[in-house]
Order: sequence, then structure tokens, then C-alpha cells
Amino acid sequence: MASPITAASAYAKLARLADPSANLGKAAESAGPSFGSMVKDAIGSVVAAGKKSDGLAQGMAAGKANIVDVVTAVTETEVAIESLVSVRDKVIQAYEEIMRMPI
Amino acid sequence: MDFLKSMAIAASGLKAQTGRMRVISENIANAESTAQRPGGNPYRRKIPTFRSEVDRALDAQTIAMGKVRQDPTDFRVKYEPGHPAADDKGYVKYPNVNSLVEMTDMREAQRSYEANLNVIGATRRMIQRTIDLLRA
Repeated sequence: MASPITAASAYAKLARLADPSANLGKAAESAGPSFGSMVKDAIGSVVAAGKKSDGLAQGMAAGKANIVDVVTAVTETEVAIESLVSVRDKVIQAYEEIMRMPI
Repeated sequence: MDFLKSMAIAASGLKAQTGRMRVISENIANAESTAQRPGGNPYRRKIPTFRSEVDRALDAQTIAMGKVRQDPTDFRVKYEPGHPAADDKGYVKYPNVNSLVEMTDMREAQRSYEANLNVIGATRRMIQRTIDLLRA
């Protein structure tokens, strides 16, 4: 059933696959924020939350901060880190799944 | 995120109950504090007040300690002629603190604190269970 037209389009697709640089920029632009920038943003917010809880923990050690504030900030950081780690694990798991695909 | 908001609101409840506990401990500690000079007024019982506050960042109503007010009821009077704070008739004014009332208030503050802690714990478990979905 393979007509010359389908064969030609398959070759064109293959050529695009073989030369990823030609298409990558366009694809990243059209698909909204890339995975890289998403991870970057998430890590930024985790680092900010971690800094806040660290500062409060130091304040508590110095006898200045309220224990409720410290516990809330630490919990917030924990939640942020855990969700980031879970998303990362899930994405890496999906990537590995694709890499194991027999070609 | 709403989860973090509800934790912040419960944390404001914890802080308010901590403040209430401080006032109650003042009352209990000063239950027998008499005046320094003869015939003077002793320690007056303090009453904590609470008000709900609109937190613009959270877009929710949190709780905060209001002004600590004084209890205007009468002092307890005891006849103790030898006491340094006794007036010329031999009566000493003791604070209007009733330890039974303070104990009840303290238990109430304790239970309120625990309720807010449970809110934080339940919220945390909800977050945890949701994140666990990603780790099937």
C-alpha cells in the first residue's frame, strides 16, 4: 500500500528527526514554557522557601522567631521540595520509558 | 495554593491561643499578688480578646489577639490585720482571679490550640497523599 507520496512524507519526517536543531527552537516557542524553564522556576521557588525557613530557624535558635512561624515555613519548604522531587521523578521515569522503547 | 493558605490561617489561630495562654498564665501566677502599700489595689485580672483580621496576601480571615482588657469586677477581700497591705480596718484586697475560671480558660485555650494543630496535620496529610499520586 506504500505509495510514493507516503514514502516521501516519511523521509521528510525522518530528515526532521535527524536534524533536531532545525525544528527545536520553533517547537519550544509554540509549546509555551519549556520543561527546562519550568524546572528552573520550581527550583527558584523552592530555594526561596528554603532560605526563608533557614532564616527563621536561625532566628529561633537566637530566641527571636516564633516557633509557629518556623514550623509553618519548614512545612511549606518541605511541601515545595517534595512536589518538585515527585514531578522530576515522574518526568525522568517517562523519559526512561521512552528510551527503553525498541526501535 | 489553598492548602498553604489554610495552614497559614491555622497558624494564626495557634499564635492567638499562645497569646491567650500568656494572659492566663499571668492571671494564675498573680492570683495572690497584693498591693505594695497598705490599702492599695492588687493585681487586676486580665481578659484576652480576639478579632478576626482580613489578610490581603492570603485573601482570607485570620485571627489576631486584640487588646488585653481588664476585668472590672470587685476584688476578693480578706481580713488579715497583720498583712503589710492591709488597710486601717485590717482588710486586704486580693486579685479578682478565680483559679477555677482560669483553669477552665486554660483548658479551652489548650483544646483550641489542638484543634488548630489538627487542621494543620490534616492539611499536610492531604498534600502528602496528593503528591503520593505521582509516585505510583
